[in-house]
Order: sequence, then C-alpha cells, then structure tokens
Amino acid sequence: MEQPDTSTRLTGAVRDLASHVVSALTSGDHAGVSALTAGTPADDDLGLAAVRVLGADVLLPSVLLRRPPAPQELAVFEKAVIAFPPAPDASVTSRWTHWAMVRTLRDLGTSAITPSPDDAEPDAAWLDEVPWQVLTHQLALLAALAVPRADHAAGATADHAAGNTADRTAGNAPSSVADSAVARAAERRTVDVARGFVRAVRRRGWLQAAGAGRWLAALDDVPETLGLDAGLEFVAHMGGDDPRVALHLHAARLLRTGAPA
Amino acid sequence: MTSTEPVVQDRTKVLDTDIESVLNPGEAEGFYRDSRECAVLALEAGAGKLLLSPPTPRPKKG
Repeated sequence: MEQPDTSTRLTGAVRDLASHVVSALTSGDHAGVSALTAGTPADDDLGLAAVRVLGADVLLPSVLLRRPPAPQELAVFEKAVIAFPPAPDASVTSRWTHWAMVRTLRDLGTSAITPSPDDAEPDAAWLDEVPWQVLTHQLALLAALAVPRADHAAGATADHAAGNTADRTAGNAPSSVADSAVARAAERRTVDVARGFVRAVRRRGWLQAAGAGRWLAALDDVPETLGLDAGLEFVAHMGGDDPRVALHLHAARLLRTGAPA
Repeated sequence: MTSTEPVVQDRTKVLDTDIESVLNPGEAEGFYRDSRECAVLALEAGAGKLLLSPPTPRPKKG
C-alpha cells in the first residue's frame, strides 16, 4: 500500500496535536499536551514539525488560562522554535508563526531562548492592500496571533466580553489583543474580516471560518448584525470534528467570555 | 515478522518545504451549503438572525 506523503502525515500529526491542546483547554490542566510531549515529538521530526506548524497555539492553554507550561511542554516548544526557523525564502505565514512562537516564550518569561535580530516583527503592511478575501485567508492562517495581551489574559478577557474598552486608543494597538502588526491590520479592517467570516461559512471553509471567527472574537467593533456567537456555534456544529477548528473555536469562546467553552 | 528480525524505526524526515506547504496552503475550493444545512443553520441561529441569505450564484459554465 502506498504511504502518504510527508505533508499528509504532518497534517495528521498537527490534527493530533491540536486535539491534545483542545483537551488541555477543556480540562484546564496540562494532561492533554503533556500526554503528547511525553511521547514522540521531542525525538521525532514529524512530531516536532507538528509543534512548529501548530505554533504558538501549542502553549495556548498556558496563555489563556494563565499558568506556566509544564517543563516538558516548554522544552519541546523551544526545540521546535530552534529546529525550524523560517528559511530565507519562507512565506510570511512561516515568518509570522515563528515570530509568534518566540513572542509566546518571551511573554511567558520562562524561555532560555535569547531573542535575536532575526526575531524582529515581519512586515504586515501589505495586509492593508489585499482584497478582503485574501485578508481573511491570511488572517485565518495566522489565527494563533489572536490571543489576549500578556497582561490582559484570563479574567481580562471577561472585560472584553463586557465591552470594557475604555482604554482603547483609536487607530493604535487593540486594547485586548496581543499587539502585532497583523493584529493592528485586523483591527483596521474588522468589517472586512466579518465579511470574510461569512464568506468562509458559506463556502464551508470551516477552518478559515474558525480562524476568522477567532480574530473577530478578539477584536472590538465587530458588527452586531454579524451574529458572531451564533456563527461560531454553527461552525462548531458543521466543522468541529476537525480539532484545528475546535481549537480556534475554544480560543474564540475564551476570548469572548473569559471562560472555557 | 519474527522476533529476530530487526525493527525498522519509522522516522520521517521533515523538510522545510513540507512545513511550508502545511503552514501556507492555498485557499480550498468552496463548497456551498445545501438547503438542508441552511435549515440547520436556521435552527442553530434562532429566529433567522444569521447568514440566512441564499448562496452566491456560481458562475455558469460554458
């Protein structure tokens, strides 16, 4: 029987890893991700690459639930950051996802990795110019950047859900989303992201819809006519079997309510 | 396989290009909802609050 190619196997490993992260988010403990990191990833290219692809979301339970990652989780995460830096000709997705992993380590304050000049924020100015369909596609690929600010996680997400955005300065960094050029671009085009979310739902692009919905959950000024909560429920109903979709939806709910789904 | 045969480790060498292809896929072809799923959506959303407009017409072939 023909073996699946490496990309297919990697996609499967990413799904498995996402499933463990969802489990950790749901249970609120380390059991999910630790169960994975205790196994193959530390010594297996495929597992380590899966950590690199899922990126900062591997440590999402630590970020959203404000608890330090288990040492083994952290070790595997750092190993993936070091093992798979963006190639010189890497896509912006690769550059931004790697940057997000380094930022997560920095914000958690538990990493031995020293930031280098190569860790500078990649360019995102082009996001202002692309059509809204492309914007949504790209933002969905970078949904791991849609997390609360390091000083704004956990209980602070409840403030966001309650509309407590008094400290926001128009045109500057979002008040509750972790700052990045991508987040600022998303905030400038919130209506376009909402439009892209609807398009993704109607195209049955559940992963894109979940990623866009996660951004919308993190942004202010989302049109109420969108019905985001009902839309997220529908995406869960239709596409929640994919653990990557489920992961984004859990993150979105945590961002909107400040509590696990 | 007998117990004396060597065990071959199933290790996968992952290249940057493999990671790139998974990290940065193109947008998948869209599949539009059928009427049954629209009905589910109506129930889910409740009172017709969301996304209940008909699908965008697809371009005609030929």
